[in-house]
Amino acid sequence: MVEYSPAQLDSLFHALSDHTRRRMLRSLGGEARSVGELAAPFQISLAAASKHIKVLERAGLVTRTVQGRTHLCRLQPEALAAGQDWLRFYEQFWNERLHALAEALADTPVSPPPASPPARRKTP
Amino acid sequence: MNPTVDVQVSRAFAVRPEAVFDAWLDPAWLGRWMFGPGVRAETVLHLRTEPRVGGRFSFLVERQGQRIDHIGTYLEIDRPRRLVFTWAIRGESDDDGSTVAIDLTATPEGCLLSLTHTLPAQWADYAPRTRQGWTTMLDTLHRLF
Repeated sequence: MVEYSPAQLDSLFHALSDHTRRRMLRSLGGEARSVGELAAPFQISLAAASKHIKVLERAGLVTRTVQGRTHLCRLQPEALAAGQDWLRFYEQFWNERLHALAEALADTPVSPPPASPPARRKTP
Repeated sequence: MNPTVDVQVSRAFAVRPEAVFDAWLDPAWLGRWMFGPGVRAETVLHLRTEPRVGGRFSFLVERQGQRIDHIGTYLEIDRPRRLVFTWAIRGESDDDGSTVAIDLTATPEGCLLSLTHTLPAQWADYAPRTRQGWTTMLDTLHRLF
């Protein structure tokens, strides 16, 4: 079993703690993009975009290759696995507990929900 | 600032929000779904709650000869809408800033519970590594943030 260093995970979660950086990651989901393409959806300078990309690089989420004058960024999805595994543990823990709570409540007669007209579900 | 990350789960219940809310604070209820031999291989040594803002709880269980005390402080108690408490294991993570928030919304069928566990990222020290498709990971990110 490979274990992640706290520093690695700190930099991963720090990288993911910013909305702009998360959107950049999503836009890298399909294909490699230049720094300019990554900056385009935001009202930020190329320098600011480059700073964000550096944070993503440090976390191992993005690699950058230079092609002539263009810096191409690629997603390195395996870096997300560390965070994902860790979070899944808690997700599973709480899901199991809520399932048990629902069963315990179903086994015990409690007063039914107050009568109210059936709500119309909005269709998406 | 220490990085934190949220884990969110939700579930619908076929009972009024008051019943679900009380099940989080009443030791008799906690012993039915959260702790005890009916839940996993463990013995309950005590389940103590002090259900007021600033009050503390202690859920002490024994698993394979090891005593594990789940402790915390109630930060918000707004029956039956919202309950927030800190969550830690005594001796392991006493002051790590992990909090659990439970939000209940009444529905025609009963209620919907949404749980948010906010974790400091440094807890992730021993997460095992597996490789997964990146699509799955980004999907999870969508859900988590």
